[in-house]
Amino acid sequence: MEKLSKLSEYKLTLVYALRDLSRNYKKIFSIILTLFISLFILSSIFTIEDSLNKELNNNSRALLGGDIEIDYNRNVVNLDLINQVKEFATVSQMVEFSTMISTTDKSIFSRIKTVDENYPLFGKVGYEPSGAFEKLQTTENTILVNENIFKNLNLEINDKIKVQDKLFTVIGIVKSVPDIGGAFVFGDFALAGKQTLELLKLNNLGSFLNYEYKVKFNERDNPKTLSKRIEQLFKDEKKVRLRYHEKSDGPLKRIIDNFSQFLSLVSISAMLIAGIGIANTLLSFINQNNMSIAVKKSLGFFSKDIKIVYYLQLLILLLLISIAAYSFSFFLVPIVDVYLSAGLGLNIEGSFSIINYFKVFSVGLLVLVIFSIPTINAIDQIKASNLFRNVFQNLQFYYSKKSIVLSLFLLSILISLFTIGSARPIFSLGYFGAFFVCLLVFYLLSNLIIKLFKGLKEHPNISIKVSVKNITQTKSITPITIMSLGLGVTLLLTLAFVGSNFKREIAKSIPELAPDYFFIGIQNDERQIFEDLIFDMDKEANLEVVPMVSTGIVKINGIDPNSYIDSSNDSHWVIRNDRRSSWADKVLKDNPIVAGEWWDLSRPDKLQISLDNKIAKDFNIEIGDIFTLNIYGREIEGEIVNFRLVNYRDFTINFAMLLNPQFAKNIPHEYLATAKFKSLENFNEIVLLDKMPSLSIIKITDYLEKVTDLLNKVFIAVTVISAITIVIGLIVISSAIIVQGKIKEFQNLIFKILGFSKVEVVLSSIIEFFIIFTSIILIALFFAVIGSQFIIENIFQITWMFDLAIFLKVTIGIGLATLILIMITNFKYLSPKVYPLIRNQ
Amino acid sequence: MDSLLKLKNVNLKYLTGNDTIKVLKNVNLETKKNESISIVGESGSGKTSLIMLAGGLEKTTSGKIFFEDQEISKMNEDEVSKIRRKNIGIVFQSFYLIPNYTAVENVALTLELNNLKNPNERAKELLDRFGLKNRFNNLPSQLSGGEQQRVAIARAIAMKPKLVLADEPTGNLDSENSQMIADILFKYIKEEKSSLIMVTHDLKLANKAKRKIKIKDGKIV
Repeated sequence: MEKLSKLSEYKLTLVYALRDLSRNYKKIFSIILTLFISLFILSSIFTIEDSLNKELNNNSRALLGGDIEIDYNRNVVNLDLINQVKEFATVSQMVEFSTMISTTDKSIFSRIKTVDENYPLFGKVGYEPSGAFEKLQTTENTILVNENIFKNLNLEINDKIKVQDKLFTVIGIVKSVPDIGGAFVFGDFALAGKQTLELLKLNNLGSFLNYEYKVKFNERDNPKTLSKRIEQLFKDEKKVRLRYHEKSDGPLKRIIDNFSQFLSLVSISAMLIAGIGIANTLLSFINQNNMSIAVKKSLGFFSKDIKIVYYLQLLILLLLISIAAYSFSFFLVPIVDVYLSAGLGLNIEGSFSIINYFKVFSVGLLVLVIFSIPTINAIDQIKASNLFRNVFQNLQFYYSKKSIVLSLFLLSILISLFTIGSARPIFSLGYFGAFFVCLLVFYLLSNLIIKLFKGLKEHPNISIKVSVKNITQTKSITPITIMSLGLGVTLLLTLAFVGSNFKREIAKSIPELAPDYFFIGIQNDERQIFEDLIFDMDKEANLEVVPMVSTGIVKINGIDPNSYIDSSNDSHWVIRNDRRSSWADKVLKDNPIVAGEWWDLSRPDKLQISLDNKIAKDFNIEIGDIFTLNIYGREIEGEIVNFRLVNYRDFTINFAMLLNPQFAKNIPHEYLATAKFKSLENFNEIVLLDKMPSLSIIKITDYLEKVTDLLNKVFIAVTVISAITIVIGLIVISSAIIVQGKIKEFQNLIFKILGFSKVEVVLSSIIEFFIIFTSIILIALFFAVIGSQFIIENIFQITWMFDLAIFLKVTIGIGLATLILIMITNFKYLSPKVYPLIRNQ
Repeated sequence: MDSLLKLKNVNLKYLTGNDTIKVLKNVNLETKKNESISIVGESGSGKTSLIMLAGGLEKTTSGKIFFEDQEISKMNEDEVSKIRRKNIGIVFQSFYLIPNYTAVENVALTLELNNLKNPNERAKELLDRFGLKNRFNNLPSQLSGGEQQRVAIARAIAMKPKLVLADEPTGNLDSENSQMIADILFKYIKEEKSSLIMVTHDLKLANKAKRKIKIKDGKIV
């Protein structure tokens, strides 16, 4: 007989795979669905992250505002040096400050950017009506305000508004500015011409004057050479920070990186859980094909060849599904674009990337292979001799030493893919560690349950007897069910806790003791006037006034503070710019000391510093360490004498650094105040601003609204991801039930022949489920509490609280959903048709 | 006549919990080429175990099994599979057709496994010879018991094996179909000069074989 070539053999294998796939797609529908959903989440995150990074990279100059930014922060500008830069590049000066904008009856705290005629060097300003932006530089006392200010102050074009004590004409609305990368615009803002600063004669600390110079190189010049030239020019200017567009490490990039990492970890959770579901469904599928596999073996097929056909089917599925999932992810980009352009002023466009598709495919392949190894290896357990005996035992996941090594190797590749290059690799690594610890604990729990129930005396009730037998029988699927359900419930509970904490943060009312207003920029000679004005309005007002001085950390123990901390660390903000510091005689009641001693009064001539405990921890600072502070141009060394517990979210006055009053009281300073009014309606901010035009007033409720708005957007993303994960979780849970399908069918057939009632059969399933579900719930809760607390406190940095109601809702919800699924499955197998089973069909 | 299959002092034991069941005890059997043997005996006497060992589907506890002078009892699963795919065809009492394969595909499977060209055409020829011309594209669930067993036999003999093992091939069939199956099997071994080892309870069928072996309590008597 004529033989086929080697190539034809491969073709034949492919034909088998395609034939099996086309005839079994209904049976493996849950694999298709699970794989699609999980790959869709992964693709969406990769596509959006990629689009965002492209947007940031393509517009890095626009986002920074120039090729280079020379940031003088709040320090005195060396104009000579700036003029030297102007000789070989175009320079745009931008000064930002915070102040009040008011009409005759309303006011709003806002950030004003004063820009010159060169602004913007890159990108475009979005504004209306046309010509308004150009008018800003040619007509004095003109201003463009953002939409929110325009709306809240009920403005019309050409209305007058007051900034400090000067009147400005609103000539238009500014919709967007390109340079949001360096200083992320959070809150209300306005644009004014360069002459505004001279008009306002700003000089106080409370206005937070910020000097920045954006530099644009001429196209024919070499940017590297010019960058070096600028570095040389400013090498002795210690107060200057140079920022390069290509190394943009602004808050916006950090926010995106952190959020991407969170989403990536959730998506890989979804993938891993989907992997368990796929393994379950695949095992059930192989169990259904048990006889066919035995027949093939009896004909002389090698186990290896049969396994290759299954792997090939999975590969074909993965190829098709990954293409579909990746393509569908592009439909999500316009939706996210709407959200991003409204929130951040960023516009993203989805663009096909073969690398991204390859990443999606690789992750899918790794997960698929890792989870299908023990399943497809189960084929080795099928014996052709079973055909003679007419007995087909339910297959189990099967691990050989070789397959364990291979699985671990593939797993380490998967972990590396998600860890290397992520914003916080340690977090990713810790996450994977937690995931596998979780898996191991649930496996051990299943063994413990089996052992415990084996030791129990037989119960006279037949339903209990059957359910206990099902749990403890040899080759029971209890471990698979407990691991799948356990991980599913843990992830769902974790996300539910994350979501509920977000919701609580959003709905959080102002703490009872929190003040109604913050007042910034009270000059030394205005303190009495300010206090009188406040008490004139409300005699019973609770007023707290504290001194405030600008301090910058120049060195820690004699070396650059940047060597103490990574720029991605949460506490890096302390050294990024100058910060306000204050002083106090006694320990503040809401800032308790956690280490060290309060001021050493025997050394009044020495600067002593009290530091926020979290910052101390993040910088690895110890009591006795020396900080060199820049205070009004002078560098002064101070010793860290204690650490305080600071909660910035209680809306009272909080400072990262407090100085000893004996030393600090002679430093020129201004004041910061908070006030809580007995009757809020007595407070009139317009009267206050008339007398103290340089004062800035921040209403706590306004501030909260802005925080709430941002959190709401994050919450939507978390909710969407949770909802998708819930779907995957349910598919996994149902897949664990499907695994039992075939055995259940046979078992119920035997029960039917023996004369069991349907009620007894259903009851045994309920009892079995109840035993398994109640055993996993406490462990799932334990892991969910730790996981959600970590995410909430470390990634989102808000306060975590346990929510009993959400725990009960999720637990009961999952419990009921699973029970319904079990009932549906049972119902299907409750009255098995005897004939096909007897005929092995 | 040349020896085709030789069992030398074969023992087979099963462990069930703490008990050991001796299924076959010191069995010696030699099959020549172009020989038909029927194995009869009571249920549980070890008949099926004997042909499972003959087909290399089970390992002996002790003793040796040779197929054409090759000791298959010491070979691994894949090595035995290689011999079986070309030389041994097996027919089961419960037919065991692959449920989602059509009649043609079930038969072609064994030809494809041996890398033969035009497997579907050859399968059709064979099915046609067995009176199943109108059943080529039917799934097993759409065939009667007799038809299913004919497809199963076509699959078993498609490679023209030197040895056909049949375990109660007519056990699930009525007398008319039993007769038809018996005719097909014996016609095949006659035409192709193959050997047949057949387990059966049906004395009429057993008597058609050249040699009849009785097995009792794991021993050939």
